[in-house]
Amino acid sequence: MKLAQSHSYYIKSVIEIESERERESNLMATSHVDVPGEPTETGTALLETATGTIQGFQPINNIHQHLCAFHFYAHDMTRQVEAHHFCGHLNEDVRQCLIYDSPNKDARLIGIEYIVVESLFLTLPDDEKPLWHSHEFEVKGGYLFMPGVPGMVERQDLKQVCKTYGKVIHFWQVDRGDPLPLGIPQIMMALTRPGQLDENIAKDVEKRFGVSFEEQREQRKDLTGPDHGIHPLANAAGRGLKTELREVDIPPATSMPRVFV
Amino acid sequence: MASSDEKPGPTPVATGDKPTPPGEPTTLSSKILDKGAGMMQSLEPVKEMKQHVCTFALYAHDLSRQIETHHYVGRLNQDVLQCAVYDSDIRKANLIGVEYIISPKLYETLPEEEQKLWHSHAYEIKSGLWVNPGVPQMLEKPELENMACTYGKFWCTWQVDRGDRLPLGAPALMFSPQPVNRGRVRPDLVQRRDEKYKISTEELRESRVDIQEPEIHPNADYWVKHNKGFAVDVKPADMKRLAPFP
Repeated sequence: MKLAQSHSYYIKSVIEIESERERESNLMATSHVDVPGEPTETGTALLETATGTIQGFQPINNIHQHLCAFHFYAHDMTRQVEAHHFCGHLNEDVRQCLIYDSPNKDARLIGIEYIVVESLFLTLPDDEKPLWHSHEFEVKGGYLFMPGVPGMVERQDLKQVCKTYGKVIHFWQVDRGDPLPLGIPQIMMALTRPGQLDENIAKDVEKRFGVSFEEQREQRKDLTGPDHGIHPLANAAGRGLKTELREVDIPPATSMPRVFV
Repeated sequence: MASSDEKPGPTPVATGDKPTPPGEPTTLSSKILDKGAGMMQSLEPVKEMKQHVCTFALYAHDLSRQIETHHYVGRLNQDVLQCAVYDSDIRKANLIGVEYIISPKLYETLPEEEQKLWHSHAYEIKSGLWVNPGVPQMLEKPELENMACTYGKFWCTWQVDRGDRLPLGAPALMFSPQPVNRGRVRPDLVQRRDEKYKISTEELRESRVDIQEPEIHPNADYWVKHNKGFAVDVKPADMKRLAPFP
């Protein structure tokens, strides 16, 4: 309760400060508040160019794919977010994605998604399943797409994605104008039927990426969802989910070695 | 369901004695698809990650649970960094969370209730726990002084150390090592890390003695003064709708 109140006063003051600046980028949609802070200093940039060259980035190099889709909050369908997923395979059955609010260099890292095949989803405990959502509708509906990839190639992968389930957690509520990642993580859900996606958001994305969801829908008619149908516990068990923060007593240390770091 | 749950329900998924995660090896056709897509898409945001940091973190609901982390750091501006956090530095590392790092100037603008969720980096850096693998000390030193003043907010989405073979449960808040008994990292964890990178945390600590000790904001590292941590609960709720669901 307190966190939410102080948050709204904070947002108000930052927005007042930031309201003069305008972010210009034809690929940026969701929010219009700049990230506070000074531009990167030359020395810092130089160092990072160096570290970027010297160090290894294997987990990041495993990211090979950009998918654009839409998420909404598991307690509030009216708050919708354009989500740019940058995904890598851990194996044939599991993918992990970094979610950004745009495909640009200055995109904000707003969340994470994990994607698993149906057989793995079915092994999840029953109280875990509601945190996951099905992908069938957004894939068949044409709303999930891979920017820049020709339809025929895209569909090869979407054939598989259509049958998977995803778990999405967002940390930065850019849709409400948060200048920084405030508050606690939010479980997100995905589109499951027509009429859910805000038309303005849809049109905006179609325009900016030169896609037509309707055309995609036509092309994807032969794709099929999970073999066993969409599990009734998926998609927040058909209801909704919220997160809450709780203070806990820290257990006393057992024997903690004194000599050490 | 809570981030502080001991172990998720009994399923083959939660055992941890088999390789994480379950599933078939990536097929050739998937690899080809990926390669193809990779050539046609620019993946700009991901290219912005230009630093690899190896350090340690503690669960905010149970400090005795400690993990080695691999942060791949991207900079938004001089005051804000965002990190994809993995459990190792190999290609198939598990993505276990996200950390945001901000300057003291920005930290001070946060509401008090928000500040409690953030941790300081001073001790982690000065003690040598935080390293940039492969980067010569001379190169990293100037920026470490800046980093030492920053504050971080780290959410863990996959509790691999609990044995989870898939990301289960509620996201967990993490804290940083601190110079009080319960905040110190277990020697065996540090040793294993040092051996892997052929470094010595202790030597790094000595070389960083001259890094200025920043003044840490009283609201950071909440548990140190209050003996209380945080857990996140996931609860059923009525979803506000604008159309039928699901």
